[in-house]
Amino acid sequence: MQNYGVYVPRLVTKKDIFVSGHRACIGCGEALAVRLVCKALGQNTIIASATGCMEIVSSPLPTTSWKVPWIHTLFENTAAVASGIESGLKMLMKKGRIAQQDITVVAMAGDGGTSDIGLQALSGALERGHNFVYLCFDNEAYMNTGIQRSSSTPYGAATTTSPAGKVSIGQVSWKKNMPAIAAAHNIPYVATACPSYPFDMMDKVKKAAATPGPAYVHILSVCPTGWRCPTDLAIKLGRLAVETGIFPLYEVENGKYKLNFDFPELKPVTAYMKLQGRFRHLSEDIIEKIQKRVTADYAELKERAVEG
Amino acid sequence: MVTLTIDGRKLKAEEGQTILQVAEDNNIYIPTLCHNEAVKPYGACRLCLVEITRRGREKLVASCLYEVEDGLEVKTGSDRVVSNRRMLMELLLARCPNNKEIQDLARRLGVEETSFQQDDKQCILCALCVRVCQEVVGVSAISLVNRGVDRQMGTPYYEPSDVCIGCGSCAYVCPVGAIDFKDVGDTRYIKWPSSQMDFKLKKCKTCGGYWIPERQLEYMIEQTGLPPGTFDNCPDCR
Repeated sequence: MQNYGVYVPRLVTKKDIFVSGHRACIGCGEALAVRLVCKALGQNTIIASATGCMEIVSSPLPTTSWKVPWIHTLFENTAAVASGIESGLKMLMKKGRIAQQDITVVAMAGDGGTSDIGLQALSGALERGHNFVYLCFDNEAYMNTGIQRSSSTPYGAATTTSPAGKVSIGQVSWKKNMPAIAAAHNIPYVATACPSYPFDMMDKVKKAAATPGPAYVHILSVCPTGWRCPTDLAIKLGRLAVETGIFPLYEVENGKYKLNFDFPELKPVTAYMKLQGRFRHLSEDIIEKIQKRVTADYAELKERAVEG
Repeated sequence: MVTLTIDGRKLKAEEGQTILQVAEDNNIYIPTLCHNEAVKPYGACRLCLVEITRRGREKLVASCLYEVEDGLEVKTGSDRVVSNRRMLMELLLARCPNNKEIQDLARRLGVEETSFQQDDKQCILCALCVRVCQEVVGVSAISLVNRGVDRQMGTPYYEPSDVCIGCGSCAYVCPVGAIDFKDVGDTRYIKWPSSQMDFKLKKCKTCGGYWIPERQLEYMIEQTGLPPGTFDNCPDCR
């Protein structure tokens, strides 16, 4: 486990690429994740960013928070745009129009832009084997348009399009396992990360950028606005998501699973859920159902990690 | 403000900035190993060398140490720079042929193999860990010892140090990953190229997890003057 002392954060670069002045909500876990990810990526980066929270808050005309070339794309074609950039750069370097250099091409999207609308373009780009990094910032619903459910919304969560009430428990389907879908493309690097574990996340992003070929990193970003939780809990909820086994942090390198944080015993899911308003309507039996599923999924993942 | 030229690009810079800082600000790649903005530049690895023209004469300087001046002309990719950098890289590769970071950087700089006799070391003696321990952490638990070919990095007399707090800053900052750092159960192990130490970790009062070396807590309490019970719980349980 990475448990560096308090002096280590002082050694991380102070140069920001995603700079202040953006309009993210108070306590946004996603803005924090983007800022740290950009520190890890460095200056030699081109970013294609899908419509979503980070696009809305960072680029209201005529201002911008980005200090690198940044392209706003639609929901559905982020991965296609990134693969176009990568191919274009390759060709320009081959023809000698620009000098040979290492430029990291990054596609960023939310969970809606990745697991719902952008899945087709992402699948194509992963299959073609472009040398790029795809970062999914998962806040578990379409937050910037008003908290509509996505396929990444967890079971039982109340959103504006899956409201909880007398006849409904909220979201009735289970969260789509997006990292597993990415890993099923047999790409060299897939990982899950969370800004509550900043060094682990930055290491994974660096590793993804250094990997030749496509790499996919799924980053859980706590959204106090949509998750109906106090704004000071973004870091705590991220840690609880990992400690309860709801969002385990792991890497898949060339098909080999590796669990980065393993706990002797997992905390109960209620520790994570009772802090969020979106789960407050859930009855005991539903929570038990969720607990069973989380335990089973975690055990399966652990088994895969042991097999290697 | 001073004006200088790097690779034909006219750039403006603050007085007192180094060539490397200006190049980084303007997205010009200069390879380095021993540079970190948290500590003073040191010029150990020499990979950041560039060619400058001053009073009509050209010379090679380490860009992490050389401060910019008005009308300076800098070349980061001239033939002389490239051939010198390759030679340095070959020497590093001969010292650490099995180090992944060195291999990657060598490949990036176009060096596939070395013509020198190969050693099998991991540390490149850039002293980044030593400087971080001194300047950022403030304990000076490790240093470079001996001279010439016997030069090594480690704790005094290769024995466990009294002042090391086991924070892991040296392991994090090492550009070539030569320092091992891991927590197993209630003990933390740090292994430097020439010495090693283990630290007893503190148990969290609430969750029972081991989270920080006891020595580090003592040091932090001594530095900040906080009451002794402040760190009984780990950050998750606070």
